Amino acid sequence: MVGLSEGEKHFIRGGIAQGIRTDGRRRLQFRALSVETGVIPQANGSARVRLGATEIIASVKAELGKPNILHPDKGKVSIFVDCSPTAEPTFEGRGSEELSTELSVALQRCLLGGKSGAGAAIDLSSLIIVEGKVCWDLYIDGLVVSSDGNLLDALAAAIKVALSNTGIPKVNVSLSAASDEEPEVDVSNEEFLQFDTSSVPVIVTLTKVGQHYIVDATSEEESQMSSAVSVSVNRNGQVCGLTKRGGAGLDPSVIFDMISVAKHVSQQFIAHLDSKISAAEAAAE
Amino acid sequence: MRDLHLSLNQTQRVRLEAALHELQSLAPAAASAAAVTVADTIPVNQEDNILKGHGTSDQDGEVVATLCGVVERVNKLVYVRTLRARYKPEVGDIIVGRIIEIAPKRWRLEINFSQDAVLMLSSMNLPDGIQRRRTAVDELNMRSIFEENDVICAEVRGFQHDGSLHLQARSEKYGKLERGQLLTVPPYLVKRRKQHFHNLAQYDVDLILGCNGFIWVGQHVVVGEKTKTTEDQQKSSADAENFTPLETRKHICRLANAVRVLSALGFTLTVELIIETAEASVTSNVEVNNMLGAEFYVQTAEREAKRRADLLRKKNGGR
Repeated sequence: MVGLSEGEKHFIRGGIAQGIRTDGRRRLQFRALSVETGVIPQANGSARVRLGATEIIASVKAELGKPNILHPDKGKVSIFVDCSPTAEPTFEGRGSEELSTELSVALQRCLLGGKSGAGAAIDLSSLIIVEGKVCWDLYIDGLVVSSDGNLLDALAAAIKVALSNTGIPKVNVSLSAASDEEPEVDVSNEEFLQFDTSSVPVIVTLTKVGQHYIVDATSEEESQMSSAVSVSVNRNGQVCGLTKRGGAGLDPSVIFDMISVAKHVSQQFIAHLDSKISAAEAAAE
Repeated sequence: MRDLHLSLNQTQRVRLEAALHELQSLAPAAASAAAVTVADTIPVNQEDNILKGHGTSDQDGEVVATLCGVVERVNKLVYVRTLRARYKPEVGDIIVGRIIEIAPKRWRLEINFSQDAVLMLSSMNLPDGIQRRRTAVDELNMRSIFEENDVICAEVRGFQHDGSLHLQARSEKYGKLERGQLLTVPPYLVKRRKQHFHNLAQYDVDLILGCNGFIWVGQHVVVGEKTKTTEDQQKSSADAENFTPLETRKHICRLANAVRVLSALGFTLTVELIIETAEASVTSNVEVNNMLGAEFYVQTAEREAKRRADLLRKKNGGR
């Protein structure tokens, strides 16, 4: 955790009040974003996203599995987040457990929809191979390599990039005579199907410091926050999830205001991220 | 260039590579010969039986580097000075540090050294400025001078015989730093010079280049009024609107971003270069918030390459 003197805290708060933060950014400006794809060769899709000094690696691994009996027409997706001790000494051992769980739950809420998989950002029915028998299990892992605030936004962005980098092998099912037998599947090594990631939302966290709120807070700025609202917004400007952190209460009108700001900011962020993804894909080829 | 994660477009990449290549070619041959990586042979004259120092090892009769860095020779001693290492204090260095603990009669400071530095209550001037014995009351009131997490500047006094590092702050110019931001850069980028305190009057900004790589950029404080401002601050935290003026804050952020760009590019930080970079951002109409963008990095690298080339030309012309 960052220790700041009273003078520095005062300086940070003053900067946010005056609209020029310690690194010269305006209140609603993100740090420099850099995107790399295909960083883990063994995974089906992977990405490294840097947002200032925050660095995230996300990977997607697909495995063949059996669908849930209650939802035979849907595949399964799970999201795990791990915070590396290289990011902060306090993450050593079990120190990061609480934060990791908090982040994975928030991401699951935003990306996976309800228990039935309704409203999920990833089309779960596209993961099905044989209804009720075989489906793809997607394991999405996020690793916080270096932490300088705004982990949730960076994780969501990294997962979005990793999914767009993911290729699911094409599967040929040999139709067996009896329907109750296990179908034989033949996983192709050459043909891959790309994911449609256009509906995957991004998360924009608005951190309230003093009277104002900012996006993409550094860990120093986060130490001064009273509360933070994370809004996940998809390409169509629809809000997919909402979480609030921090003890201080917020007036409902402020929250509405924050949501409309988050919606506006997220559209720019999605466009920026998309251009970064296509640039990274072009560089990888 | 480990810290440099820029998303450059094609032309920017070519320009940056050209500038860095030029910088490399401008470096004197002796300097590049002195740079070693692990397992590099260090050329020595075997006859004048040399002493192998830090970061060297004997391998089949040859002296081999076990660290990455620059070979230094002091008489018979040959050692490797690593670049990305912790700060190595020397007596008289001016450093910026952060208080981490208050212990009996002393403060402990984090200064990016391999151990914590110690500032004794007896080796600093009291706020009232009177020279007298430190009493038990003073000892109890230590927190009213410096608290935990305060950023202060001080001078390296020396090593005690138990190996601990002692600091002193026996002047008005030393003490608590407020209303500004602390930046950390690799210590090798700050060279020891006559002057480490810089009052940039044109910006109303104080710039302190600590030898330990901690750099303070803050609002200018008139020496002698430090105690007064603390009282002001306590008062102002009630109304909380006594912030740094916007104009000064812009200058602080501009200078801080100049330091960030220069240190990421690995250029030695001097006050002239920092001001020059900040001024260049003004003249080329780069907003403060765009200074950390790829374009300004490339411009800075190109400007530095040009500056060093001019310097070399002047030197050669003078000969």
